[in-house]
Amino acid sequence: MGERNETGFSFGRRVVLKLLAAAGALAGCSPRPDVEKLVPYLVPPEHAVPGEPLEYRTLCRECAAGCGVTAATQAGRAVKLEGNPDDPIGRGALCARGQAAVQALYDPERASAPLRRAPDGRLAPITWDEAVGQLAAALAAAKAKGRGRIRLLTRPEPGSAGVVQRAFLHALGAGAEHRVVFDPLDPAPLRAASKALFGRPEIPAHDLGAARAVVSFGAELLETWISPVELTRGFAQGRGQVGPERPRFTWIGPRLSLTGASADRWLSVRPGGELAVALGLLRFITDPSRRAPGLAPEAPSLFRLVKALSPAELAARAGTSSARIAALGVELVRKRPSALLGPGLSSQGTDATALAAVILLLNHVLGNVGRTLLYGLDPLDDPPSSPSAPAALVEEMAAGRVDVLLVHHADLLGWLPPALGADRALTRVPLVASFADRPDATRARAHLVLPDHHPLESFGDVAPRRGVVLFGQPVMTPLGDTRAASQVLIDVAARPPLGTPLPFDGFGALVRERAERLVRAHGAGAPVVDSVREAFQRGVVTWEVKPAVVSLRVGAAEPFLAPPPSPPGAALELVVFPTPLRAGAAADRPGWLREVPDALTTLSWIGWAELSPATAARLGVATGDRLALATAAGGAELPAYVYPGILDGVVAVPLGGRDPLALLGGARDPRSGALAWRAVLASAARAGPGAPLPRLEGSAYTEGRRITRTVTPAEPALPRPSGEEAMYGPPEHPKHRWSMAIDLDRCTGCQACVVACFAENNVPVMGPQAAAEGRYMGWIRVERYFGSEPGELDVELMLMLCQHCANAPCEPVCPVYATYHTAEGLNAQVYNRCVGTRYCSNNCPYKVRTFNWRDPEFAPPLHMQLNPDVAVRSKGVMEKCTFCVQRIRRAEHRARREGRALADGDIVPACAQACPARAIVFGDAKDPASRVSALRRDPRGFAALDELNTQPAITYLARVRSGR
Amino acid sequence: MTTGAAFLRIEELVRATHRRPGAGYLALVLLSAAAAAFGGWCWALMIRDGMWRTGLNRPVNWGTFITNFVFWVGIAHSGTLISAILLLFRARFRTAVYRVAEAMTVIAVTTAGLFPVIHLGRPWLAYWLFPYPNQRGLWINFRSPLIWDVFAVSTYLIVSTIFLLVGIAPDAAALRVRAGGWRRRFYGFFSFGWRGTGEQWRHYTRAYLFFAAFATPLVVSVHSVVSWDFAVSIVPGWHSTLFPPYFVAGAILSGLAMVLTLLVPMRRLLHLEPLVTPRHLDMLSRLLLLTALVVAYFYAVEYALSLLRGPLPERSTFLDRATGRYAPLFWMMLAANFAGPLLLFSARVRRSPKALFFIALGVNVGMWFERFIIIAGSLSHDRLPFLWRGYAPSWVELGITLGAFGWFFFWFLLFVKLLPSVSIAEMKVQAVEEAPRDA
Repeated sequence: MGERNETGFSFGRRVVLKLLAAAGALAGCSPRPDVEKLVPYLVPPEHAVPGEPLEYRTLCRECAAGCGVTAATQAGRAVKLEGNPDDPIGRGALCARGQAAVQALYDPERASAPLRRAPDGRLAPITWDEAVGQLAAALAAAKAKGRGRIRLLTRPEPGSAGVVQRAFLHALGAGAEHRVVFDPLDPAPLRAASKALFGRPEIPAHDLGAARAVVSFGAELLETWISPVELTRGFAQGRGQVGPERPRFTWIGPRLSLTGASADRWLSVRPGGELAVALGLLRFITDPSRRAPGLAPEAPSLFRLVKALSPAELAARAGTSSARIAALGVELVRKRPSALLGPGLSSQGTDATALAAVILLLNHVLGNVGRTLLYGLDPLDDPPSSPSAPAALVEEMAAGRVDVLLVHHADLLGWLPPALGADRALTRVPLVASFADRPDATRARAHLVLPDHHPLESFGDVAPRRGVVLFGQPVMTPLGDTRAASQVLIDVAARPPLGTPLPFDGFGALVRERAERLVRAHGAGAPVVDSVREAFQRGVVTWEVKPAVVSLRVGAAEPFLAPPPSPPGAALELVVFPTPLRAGAAADRPGWLREVPDALTTLSWIGWAELSPATAARLGVATGDRLALATAAGGAELPAYVYPGILDGVVAVPLGGRDPLALLGGARDPRSGALAWRAVLASAARAGPGAPLPRLEGSAYTEGRRITRTVTPAEPALPRPSGEEAMYGPPEHPKHRWSMAIDLDRCTGCQACVVACFAENNVPVMGPQAAAEGRYMGWIRVERYFGSEPGELDVELMLMLCQHCANAPCEPVCPVYATYHTAEGLNAQVYNRCVGTRYCSNNCPYKVRTFNWRDPEFAPPLHMQLNPDVAVRSKGVMEKCTFCVQRIRRAEHRARREGRALADGDIVPACAQACPARAIVFGDAKDPASRVSALRRDPRGFAALDELNTQPAITYLARVRSGR
Repeated sequence: MTTGAAFLRIEELVRATHRRPGAGYLALVLLSAAAAAFGGWCWALMIRDGMWRTGLNRPVNWGTFITNFVFWVGIAHSGTLISAILLLFRARFRTAVYRVAEAMTVIAVTTAGLFPVIHLGRPWLAYWLFPYPNQRGLWINFRSPLIWDVFAVSTYLIVSTIFLLVGIAPDAAALRVRAGGWRRRFYGFFSFGWRGTGEQWRHYTRAYLFFAAFATPLVVSVHSVVSWDFAVSIVPGWHSTLFPPYFVAGAILSGLAMVLTLLVPMRRLLHLEPLVTPRHLDMLSRLLLLTALVVAYFYAVEYALSLLRGPLPERSTFLDRATGRYAPLFWMMLAANFAGPLLLFSARVRRSPKALFFIALGVNVGMWFERFIIIAGSLSHDRLPFLWRGYAPSWVELGITLGAFGWFFFWFLLFVKLLPSVSIAEMKVQAVEEAPRDA
């Protein structure tokens, strides 16, 4: 060591050099420089303004409907998805699942690198080079063994991804039959019936806006069926009218679904009774003695085919009365055009194609085809394979005839009933490669995981309809080391020993090429787009396509018109139904979709089994008890939920997770191959008390209070309260009073607004325990009342959020002014000022304030989704709806920058933006010309709990009841 | 007995309470200190993790903590009642018991004052509830009943503390004469330079009377203000003009019950039977009976008004009290607060310390239930049926409740061991006044 000086410390030259060398060596040992950039850009992108969201148009791949979306990014991260207003399918709205897609992007469980199953059975990260090499080698070996050893299981890819897949299989010497396109929710019976009757294997498009009567045979059109956003929009167009011009909506099924809750009438039939009703209607309408005017010319010949069926017998088989069927028939003859829709998942039994066919015949006879039911618009770009194809694939796998199985976003294990044995069959496949980026049941068994980009990180294109092509583009740098699955296929094909390069430069280039082709197309019905850039900027290219004129093959109808089978006696029957939040496989549902309660049962996080009060009493089961269900195929144990909107003798289980599938035996509709989502229960018994349910509702009834209101054609207006004098004068709103109108006649309870609010306002996901303890944090909720008193069934849905009262009970009780009334009519909540007395929540009659019982958790990388415009609240403070004040401010700033006054419609809160039914309107009540001002004067308008004289900023428009 | 001997006897009896503590006493002190420490630990957990640790939810945002607050404020009331109001009314029987009651008041207010802080979501910001000048330009909302609470409770604490200390001064001086060591200095401090001169006596009696007159309206106002926490809101079951007198009566009832609950065992354990005679207990129990009848009257008015004339949510809330989630508590409350005290019509019961103890204990429990039912019961059944939801305290809340009892008894035990728990001076005055009749 060096010499000591007077202070006792000294560093000689050598010591300093040694220390420097040691520090340098240690720094070099650090595995990764732990440096994070505070300012991510040295040279910022041209359009990125800090604090100002940069929006990209892209597409949603959550279901087969194919909606365009607008992704708002801040500081290079996607924070919010909204619909693409230029997209004719969604027109700017986006459903709950679409809203939640952005959360899936930041799923902590997402794979950030390719994984290979190590000998010990665990998935371990490898490099892309290794992964591509291994897959290429395995494919080459399988190819050498002969045709059919390589299979690709994929979701429908109606776009360039499908082109790549087909070319890839072709290059490997495999045929189209080796590519199984799997969409478990595809309405295959409708395709089969369309093909048989009209010679078109299509899903028709629906124009519900033109329909004067809508009849759904178990089709969950407002939840998951075909294209829910588009159907909801069309459905809502006619709502809000009180007179005879109001379209009448009839729901037919054993269970009053959320879609059924919006119906004017519920025709309850036993499971499978839909077909008997449809046949009864067909016979009634085509009966020449009724002389219904303007029926299709085939009506008499159809009547001859159904003449032999006795209406009384049909009604008995449906479990209803012939008078009710006749009443519906009279209405359908009178109200035209109409739209009859079905079957949906819950009415998809073993006779689903026959049901679909009779529904189509009814539509044809009534002249709806070509008016509300449009053929020739299904692009048939990549339609699903026969629904029995996955089962056939499983058999081949089990027989050891498959060497390589590529799985592209099709969760075989998660969606096939376990009775089909996919689990065992997978063990016989030497190499299973999954492109899933998030864990699912099939990926958990894969040997090789090649994580795909999230759609927000990738190029893509989808054609949901003829005349519509949606383009997707990456809106941010991929979070992990993922690769577009199509690009991986291109790379694998080119890789020795396979060495069969595909004729594409790359996947992104392929998508751009498609856009270029559309730009180049000219002539009649040519797309309206000038450049590739514009196609991506708009996110969609559209062109005019006329619906096809179809003709009915009467001869083909005959096989579908056989009398329906008799009911199976006294046994309990099982029905599986989808909900807007539970339409995906359980494993990949993002947190928001789990946290938000189901609208009808108010349960979150868990599956359940519904049964009627009488059935529950017979089984000795109460809500919350464990109910053990068993069928010939298997069993499941679920918490019971006693639901008055279900027929006696029926147990209904929501889709999502293994439980419903375990109960299904894999019975199919023989004509279409579609899975029957129904079964006969061998037993149902109480298995003991359950844990407290994660459930939002307290009482299911309004208990005689004036919370929701209805109007009828006889009484189309609600009385206005006089508005008593308050102790203090009404608050002044010198410039604006931000207000909202919510049309309860349009609201379908789809929860899109709720999920949008979670995304926009950084509302935390608290988990099932919090839900069971009454600590759900949502700022807007769907309240569901079955009626006024127990025993009634008159389902009312009510959106409840902060009412921003002018005379707010929460404001005077706060000791520290953490909540106060702003000059613009907002009930503001200052988080920093709040000390957490919770008095405001006690005094809020609407109970819309939520308290932070603990610090919220946003597990990385979920924190990247947080909206930087909205504070994240900490434990001990109260929070609530702000009317999206950040959006109000942004619109004000924008207007000021552009040197203009705020216009009506400039400000759209997240909930109003998301609503597919356009039930929520926001604006300035001080502006007499604004839409919201007009709606506040609507005769259907009322304020919730108006006896308290809180003078809310929210006006509800009453649901219209058109009588029984 | 001469007055001199009587004086000596009174002093001896009081001094006897200050003898070296026995194992039982020490065990009680340790037990209550341990309970208080446990409560503190529970609170620490809650501060660390948030109100997650409680059983509270939406809609029941207030529960055990606010119940405890009202309960302890109520306990605090009869101290002032016995000491100040009865002084003004010249009720003789108060002499033997008022010091205990006053001490109980001060300690109970201190305990009560903890709960509004404990129940805050962010207790470290509790000082924001005080109007103090600050550079952030923050101010408090004088329209909020919680602010009125801050003023009411702090005023009450200050006044009742002064009242207690003024009363102690001559006694401390009397004890100081014969004390040695640290006790001498201790009593010296509490005697505030008392010499017993005529001038001092004159000032003392006037000051004492003055504070009694000052404290008397506080008995009414403090609990009225506490009741406004509820009455000012629009929650059915809370929103009632009846609340201020109803709460004051309830407070006095619970306070009297607490005095009896403490006095009966104390008189036995500290051998104060000659000073606190059955007559005193009898008078206290008559007062208890009277208050119980007043409270029962308020119950009847409250229920009758809401059930017969109230709007629907009001009616529904009261039906829910009798038949709903908290119905067992409700009926137990009626039994304890109304049926129990009815037994006091019997002179035999009034003269039995054991019976009195159990009736008083019952009233204590019943009054706690009453507050719980009003607070949690009303919130659980508010205007929006969709968000009706029950509440049960978590173990953390129960731990803090237990801790509060520990805290209260810890200080109370220290008090009885260190300071005169019966007023020597007033007993002496009484002895002088009663001497001729004895002779």
